[in-house]
Amino acid sequence: MTQISHPSNPKEPLGLWLFKIITGPIILVILTIHFLVNHLLAPNGLLTYAEVIAYYKNPIVPIMEIIFVCFAVAHSLTGLRGIVLDLNPSQRILRIFDWLLLILGSTAILYGIWLALTIASA
Amino acid sequence: MNQPSPRNILRWFDPRHRQPGTWAFILNRITALGLTLYLAMHLIVLGKLAQGPAAYDSFVALAHSPLVKIGEMLVIAAGILHGLNGLRVAITSLGFATRYQRQLLWASTILSGILILIFARAMFLGG
Repeated sequence: MTQISHPSNPKEPLGLWLFKIITGPIILVILTIHFLVNHLLAPNGLLTYAEVIAYYKNPIVPIMEIIFVCFAVAHSLTGLRGIVLDLNPSQRILRIFDWLLLILGSTAILYGIWLALTIASA
Repeated sequence: MNQPSPRNILRWFDPRHRQPGTWAFILNRITALGLTLYLAMHLIVLGKLAQGPAAYDSFVALAHSPLVKIGEMLVIAAGILHGLNGLRVAITSLGFATRYQRQLLWASTILSGILILIFARAMFLGG
């Protein structure tokens, strides 16, 4: 690794930029597994309630899905923040938006974890 | 040139004089917004699984419409484009293969096109 360049908005903290760069490939790997399992290994593509419940009986599945929802939500909202930065918001607006994203992200992640555990224990 | 002015807004929609990398950037932003919207919808819809078999199975039956299939195809295309282009950005941003940026851009675009065609064939022609 020679040098890290930061081609996005310079106002974005380097840490957030790196977070997107690192979570992106992780999401890509889990998404590939998600697709292969859902659409190739599962005979009918997990299109009925019973099939989904049976699929979630393997404990690896809810664990993988929970990791997936955490990374996907965090990556997507970090990206949304980057897009908003390009609109040159004032510090005040940006602070409000940060809080909004934090609340939205935590809610989505908690909901995703609850949903995965609910399906796994159904 | 880069100062904000009402006249420059019109330049946003001028497709001339753009580098391939700029197109990749624009496409990455558009697909990002689409995928974020899809993620929200996906999480909300999967909530039907918590309501039991009747709620989920009747929803899946509804989702077999051609319109939903076209929407799903758009999501897959957006995911492939965003994923591969993002991987390219990650590789060069971390300082790898910086001499081959242009080649990487073409490689990710061509690979995306091939993958999108494979998925479209599987979805609309069944394999």
